[in-house]
Amino acid sequence: MGPLPEPVRLVLDAGRRYRLSVLDVGLACCAVEFVAASLGDAAVARLAADAPPPGPRTVDVMVVAGTVTDAMAPAVRALWEQLPEPRRVLSFGACSNTGGPYWDSYCVTKGVDQIVPVDVYVPGCPPRPAALLHGLRQLSALTTPDPPA
Amino acid sequence: MTPAQVAARVEALLGLAPREAYGTLVVDVPREQWAAAATAVRDDPELGLVLFDVLTAVDEQQDGFDVVLRLWSPAGRHGLVLRARCPRDDARVPSLTGVFAGAAWHERSVAEMFDIGFDGHPGLTPLLLPAGFTGSPLRKDFVLASRAARAWPGTVEPGQSAEQAAASTGRRRTQAPGVPRPGSWPQP
Amino acid sequence: MTGVPDDEAALAQGLDVLRRAVQPGAAQLPSRSRGVIALLEENCTVCMLCARECPDWCIYIESHQETDPPLAPRGRPRVRNVLDRFAIDFGLCMYCGICVEVCPFDALFWSPEFEHAGADPDDLVHEREQLRAWMWTVPVPPPLDPAAEPPAEVVAARRAEQRAGGGGHPA
Repeated sequence: MGPLPEPVRLVLDAGRRYRLSVLDVGLACCAVEFVAASLGDAAVARLAADAPPPGPRTVDVMVVAGTVTDAMAPAVRALWEQLPEPRRVLSFGACSNTGGPYWDSYCVTKGVDQIVPVDVYVPGCPPRPAALLHGLRQLSALTTPDPPA
Repeated sequence: MTPAQVAARVEALLGLAPREAYGTLVVDVPREQWAAAATAVRDDPELGLVLFDVLTAVDEQQDGFDVVLRLWSPAGRHGLVLRARCPRDDARVPSLTGVFAGAAWHERSVAEMFDIGFDGHPGLTPLLLPAGFTGSPLRKDFVLASRAARAWPGTVEPGQSAEQAAASTGRRRTQAPGVPRPGSWPQP
Repeated sequence: MTGVPDDEAALAQGLDVLRRAVQPGAAQLPSRSRGVIALLEENCTVCMLCARECPDWCIYIESHQETDPPLAPRGRPRVRNVLDRFAIDFGLCMYCGICVEVCPFDALFWSPEFEHAGADPDDLVHEREQLRAWMWTVPVPPPLDPAAEPPAEVVAARRAEQRAGGGGHPA
């Protein structure tokens, strides 16, 4: 299946204007910062749905938070393939951006963009919870020309 | 029990004298007595080293491998480290799964990381490494390919550009820590 | 049981602290917060220590040499290093601070700015101009602990003052 036709994408993205359903692929320490952001930050709670999605079929954004080891890479890819189009990926933290501190390891994938296409990269080790909010805002700007603040 | 008492008891039990090293007592056990020694210190009522903490290995290069077992006594609050050495060309020790069932996964991990055999282990399948991984990563002669393949930004000398640094072959350039010496690993 | 904290009260208190900490508008970031690294190019002598000590190999430095005329009529011409490129890849950076600590000339500073996500990994490589722009966000250093020794510069200045004013009195 190729990329979505633009009119279909616009309709589907319209539903993401005010609320994003975020799937947290929490692999390592960055997952803790993701949890801190989603639980503790009112602004994140406004933008992203409070509860984790019931399954991959309702997810808007997949956030990869943590080191992607070679053993976990097929699982991350399989998760991504289950997301409905138009799907977006936010890479959270140095490890999923580029491999981070473990770039020289024998069993670490140097960045999750080696296995899935990434839309936004949030730098940090780990990034602040507020940096996740900034990254999500940048991502929602991709879905709509004028996202709410 | 104080360390001195533990050391005396171990010596009486095994006939081997422990040494103080790394802040704990370490006893070097011959490979043939590996399982017997672990069983003896576990079952001894005075020592009571019933808690299996960790089983790992150290690559001693020419001297072979040290398989290291750490045990703890919750009742006596003392610990002991047992070490068995195996030569590099015959890297195998008896398995401790009959003594501590929890050693099974530790031995699987040591087997995949160091390529050390454990005689009597029910199934030495890889534990952590991804399928299709070749090599024994924790052996000291396993080359860290990423560090060898990537150019270190520090080879650039003050007053040089990156191209000049790449082209310079003169005197020995500063190498990053951990980068294998060129020529010590097979080039593609 | 006395002395054991009430679980629910403790949880509520913890969540409250967390909420206050992550409010973006009223963010009271702690002093010496690590967001990005800023470069003061005037202090940099291209000694390469930061690039060499970085555990992630994420600092890229290139330079060339320039010769200045001698200060005195019969002096030597002075050679100095001029930066061509100083880039930090914040996609790799793990914010350990080794580069900031090791710099002998105080050319690198911590800034608490953290909102610099990018759509491309190349957006995370900050070049010289951007690193200088971060300098304007570097906060004033926090005051020393009241019981700490005074800074070396202050001690030296006081000694010089006493020597000039007091005429030979020891500091």
